[in-house]
Amino acid sequence: MILSRKKIKEAETEYIAVSEHDKKYAIRNPFGEEITINHRKVDIKILDDDRGFTYILYKRKKYLVEIVEKSQNKYTILLNGVSYKFTIETPISYKRKKYLQKNKLKSKVELVGAPMPGKIVDILVEAGAKVKEGEALIILEAMKMQNEILSPAKGVIKKLFVNQGDIVNKEDVLIEIEKK
Amino acid sequence: MIRICQTAKKMGIKTYGIKTSKEPKAYYLEFVDAIIDFSDTSDEIPEFLDVERIIKAARDHKIQAIHPGYGFLAESPYFAQRCEDEKIIFVGPSADVIYKMGNKTIAKRIANRSQIPLLRGSQGNLKSADEAKYIAGRIGYPVIFKAAAGGGGRGMRIVEKPSYIEKMFKLASTEAQKAFSDSSVFLEKYVRNPKHIEFQILGDKHGNYVHLGERECSVQRKHQKLIEESPSSALDDRLRVKMGQDAINIAKAAGYFSAGTVEFLLDADKKYYFMEMNTRIQVEHGVTEMVTGLDLIELQLRIAQGEKLPFSQSDVKLNGWALECRINAEDVQSGFTPYLGIIDKIQYPRSKNIRIDTGITDMSVVTPFFDSMLAKLIVHAENREKVISHTMNALNKFWIKGIKTTIPFCKAVLRNRKFRNGDFTTSFVDEEMKKLYHEEERDEMLAAYLATFDYAAGIETDRSMYIDFEQGKNISPWVLNKRLRSL
Repeated sequence: MILSRKKIKEAETEYIAVSEHDKKYAIRNPFGEEITINHRKVDIKILDDDRGFTYILYKRKKYLVEIVEKSQNKYTILLNGVSYKFTIETPISYKRKKYLQKNKLKSKVELVGAPMPGKIVDILVEAGAKVKEGEALIILEAMKMQNEILSPAKGVIKKLFVNQGDIVNKEDVLIEIEKK
Repeated sequence: MIRICQTAKKMGIKTYGIKTSKEPKAYYLEFVDAIIDFSDTSDEIPEFLDVERIIKAARDHKIQAIHPGYGFLAESPYFAQRCEDEKIIFVGPSADVIYKMGNKTIAKRIANRSQIPLLRGSQGNLKSADEAKYIAGRIGYPVIFKAAAGGGGRGMRIVEKPSYIEKMFKLASTEAQKAFSDSSVFLEKYVRNPKHIEFQILGDKHGNYVHLGERECSVQRKHQKLIEESPSSALDDRLRVKMGQDAINIAKAAGYFSAGTVEFLLDADKKYYFMEMNTRIQVEHGVTEMVTGLDLIELQLRIAQGEKLPFSQSDVKLNGWALECRINAEDVQSGFTPYLGIIDKIQYPRSKNIRIDTGITDMSVVTPFFDSMLAKLIVHAENREKVISHTMNALNKFWIKGIKTTIPFCKAVLRNRKFRNGDFTTSFVDEEMKKLYHEEERDEMLAAYLATFDYAAGIETDRSMYIDFEQGKNISPWVLNKRLRSL
């Protein structure tokens, strides 16, 4: 089927920004006179000041902004010093993504990663142990500090991926927990 | 550094600064009268810590006094001793006092002799885990292990029940050994949810002492202070007089001179306990200066020269309220991890009641070699409510581009109802600051708009070339311009 040019334009001037917590912002006409976000008309401007700061002007308030990272349709934005991550979709790509998500089973497994590079100085639990949320699992030494790695959820330790004395990198998986 | 130079200049004292290889273009070098260049060094010891090199440079330049700042050298008895040996004035207390107060076990003994309230615990350092278990059993759980040579939270371990004593004793000792090259630890009763209250004291070399009121530093994370204020809403005049006198008494007992800080824990029943004494000027000294109208660096320099304190306790008036926010290069959204990078631009508010201590300018680089503190924002007003609202305004106008900082965190604290009511303790950050640090729902919506705008502008630019060609029509030049200029 061949769409007319007008139709292409219309279809693509709506975008959906999906936050990392799965919150959805449907933004129509981002450059136009009538910008709408989630079907509400908003008066919003992106401006530069003479010092070279970029800010958003909204309801007479200024919000300092910058784009700290972008790759294809993934963005990290700093707004008043707080970072937000978004994936920008078109209505069609969004629908496809939702469909794929629905078919994926909800995971019952929680992976505990290293928050920073360091050395495993102690492992406080063993496979099969029941743990509470917030319970200390591992002592990781980094920058001369002994850091307790806490359990993110209540459950049972399924597998330990590290041994005492191991050196780990940031985000290396340390422990697998089956959530209860 | 800049702070010290400003006072010295006011007093007509010539200043020298050390240029290091790690930060050869440091902003503070613009404030000194002369530069001593250490930047050619390639050895392992950081230039600021190379005592003999500093002493030699001081002799070569006929320098009369050294101000150690508030870093590592300020609490090094060795460095103070080397200055004393070379007849260079060390701006701080004597080497002997730095040693005594730097060792928490000795400091506690001095406090005990002066009848300052102390937490129950071990008499001196622990010899074994069994001894720890025995003492903990007597004073009751929870207890805390602390490094005798410690500070900054390292070597501290809280123990809730006997079965953990052995493990935590080992952990605390190992950590103390690594951090301070001294594995000695002691044990004391752990106070749940205390307030951190500290008193600024001054003593001269003639035995005169005053205290300059208290500072509350309960907003901290892992024992790192983040927001400080003076006075504290937890103290009334009667308690202030009593704690202030105790602070003076311990300084007297130690034979202390110069500016110093006596730290106390205050529990929910308003009982206080001596913690430790810091034998240097502290980062948060600015709030005390704001409420007393005094220049502590000037007083330090005068005391170091042997002058008498120019006023007595009854002359000290605490006026209004001061609040300090530490602006650190840290990512508060991922556990306060250091955020390295280049500061493209920095802009902050200026006004009579706002003081900003910073060494940062546009294009400053945040390196891993120094601590993450970029600036201190200190605000003064007539009462606590006003100082909170003025600080909030100042934070809103404090713009930094290029890196993440603790500004959103500070704003979130100032908005918190419990903080506003004075109802907060050292557990405040862990208990109250778990949420995201955005102000309102709309913040995320605005950020979403910016991302979408930039993404859509990319697509429009690609398409516009085609439209251009076909229809001779262009999209808004503003959009193109916007797109080409990277944000």
